[in-house]
Amino acid sequence: MYGTQSKRDLALELQAQIPFLRPSIHARRANITVKFQDLYGFTVEGNVDDVNVLNEVREKVREQGRVWWALEASKGANWYLQPQIASISEGIALKSSLKLSSLANAITLKKLIRKGIPPVLRPKVWFSLSGAAKKKSTVPESYYNDLTKAVEGKVTPATKQIDHDLPRTFPGHPWLDTPDGHATLRRVLVGYSFRDSDVGYCQGLNYVAALLLLVMKTEEDAFWMLAVLLENVLVNDCYTNNLSGCHVEQRVFKDLLVKQCPRIASHLEALDFDVSLVATEWFLCLFSKSLPSETTLRVWDVLFYEGAKVLFHVALAIFKMREDELLVTHHVGDVINILQRTTHHLFDPDELLTVAFDKIGSMTTNTISKQRKKQEPAVMAELDQRLRRLNSLKMDDK
Amino acid sequence: MARTSNKNIQVKLVDSFAGFVLVLDVSYSRGFKIWLSVLIDTLLSFCQVLLGDMGTGKTSLVLRFVKGQFFDFQESTIGAAFFTQVLSLNEVTIKFDIWDTAGQERYHSLAPMYYRGAAAAVVVYDITSMDSFERAKKWVQELQRQGNPNLIMFLVANKVDLEEKRKVKNEEGELYAQENGLSFLETSAKSAHNVNELFYEIDFPFKAHGYILLAAKRLAEANPSRQTGMKLHTESHGSGRRGFCCS
Repeated sequence: MYGTQSKRDLALELQAQIPFLRPSIHARRANITVKFQDLYGFTVEGNVDDVNVLNEVREKVREQGRVWWALEASKGANWYLQPQIASISEGIALKSSLKLSSLANAITLKKLIRKGIPPVLRPKVWFSLSGAAKKKSTVPESYYNDLTKAVEGKVTPATKQIDHDLPRTFPGHPWLDTPDGHATLRRVLVGYSFRDSDVGYCQGLNYVAALLLLVMKTEEDAFWMLAVLLENVLVNDCYTNNLSGCHVEQRVFKDLLVKQCPRIASHLEALDFDVSLVATEWFLCLFSKSLPSETTLRVWDVLFYEGAKVLFHVALAIFKMREDELLVTHHVGDVINILQRTTHHLFDPDELLTVAFDKIGSMTTNTISKQRKKQEPAVMAELDQRLRRLNSLKMDDK
Repeated sequence: MARTSNKNIQVKLVDSFAGFVLVLDVSYSRGFKIWLSVLIDTLLSFCQVLLGDMGTGKTSLVLRFVKGQFFDFQESTIGAAFFTQVLSLNEVTIKFDIWDTAGQERYHSLAPMYYRGAAAAVVVYDITSMDSFERAKKWVQELQRQGNPNLIMFLVANKVDLEEKRKVKNEEGELYAQENGLSFLETSAKSAHNVNELFYEIDFPFKAHGYILLAAKRLAEANPSRQTGMKLHTESHGSGRRGFCCS
């Protein structure tokens, strides 16, 4: 089985490489593993191929930057922030010419964002398009400073858990794993735990907030991004006491897999493999623990503009990309290993996003909302039943 | 795997201990040895789940066992992580499939997904934290009610290298384990103390061992010339629980 598999891999690799001259082919055959730092300072272990892909990605990022600068030059700086774009959906009457140009802008922007926001522009673009800027503008300027000062020195179950997780959040990262990195991440997470006591602190948010800090550069902006993410972008209750929102998303995901990848779904069903076994982490960490950093951030680019349905697109794409391999598995362990190997080596974001948006049928936010509504009662009933069972255990104790 | 044969033999083994039926579809073409090893591999793959409060060292225990590594600060686990370890003991290969779960309390609503099919559960607490011991007890209670009635349970007191910070006495853990019929071990992922013992001591797979050899012998006698290419699956029996969840 392994023999045929690796041959297929090799064939795919070679196909992908036709346009490139690769002097490293001998090194690649030797299967040398190298350690290197990626764009955001994470140490990655990979083979020579991965390094090459990463170099190509760097070049693409530069190219994409040029596209964005050119657009700024022709349409004016901050063209994507024009209020017309936001008002299209709200149906505010505009002069038809203006409407048309803003609609054109919106289409350009959507395409552009799927191709990636250049890292230097990310803080600005994310902050305005996600709604974080708007959220921040509704409270006094000093909100974040006041919040962090007010909660300083307070000890709650959430702060204890945060303190426990700080050194365990991307350990070894050149900035995150320093006293300064720990202190900054702590302020953001503790601040948020007081802002929303229903969420408090949920493991997984440490990775999300850490990556937000790396992108946004300033902790206050990272805080607002975290807020808009949990309060507006993602489905409600993903991170609250029993993760009910996350359970709902998992059920919706299972249904979508049946619809979009029926062959994979029925094969996995036969293996008694529950996709939530792997997908839970993807949805809670928004892929930050599974995908390489630039690939994760490319997913987030689209997430902040198009909403939580993007997570389904990407998760489905990961399965879809490995359809042939997955269909010949006999063991749950093999399925997990294929998926893990795939995600860890997805250094080329376009490889993933092309599948996510071109090969996965389109899903509107509306239909997904309906599916969530459909699943909610079952999830609530299940969680409720579990709670009652656990409570009955406690009663027995007495 | 290319299957070239067209002849199948079915062997049914009923393991009374775990309460499931193993159905072996044997299709043969060449190489007796290959299928025997496939058979044993598959049969002896064995699923375990680690549960316990956050920061008790679940991931560290698994990593010590699987890779021989230890990190002072181990990334916190979200959802669960999956590990495989293949061991050769006395010419028998055993595959360990291990689910290492997230410790934070709100993640417990996900746990049934991971312990549902496990053959063994390892409940871990940290000897420097009384809270984690209390949580471990809750886990044991839940498993006694929810898990497989044949589930093998271990209570593990981790971090014994931090003796000077100990809050939970050895006797307390041992007594609780005794009262609840669990195996008990004190371990340290950091110093590797008792880690291999923990995973080796789960001797359940060996129970099936005798059956496999018997089946193999019979097959060999019945078809002396040409066997191989084994398709093997486990079928759940009665309770709907599966002994080998990851196979």
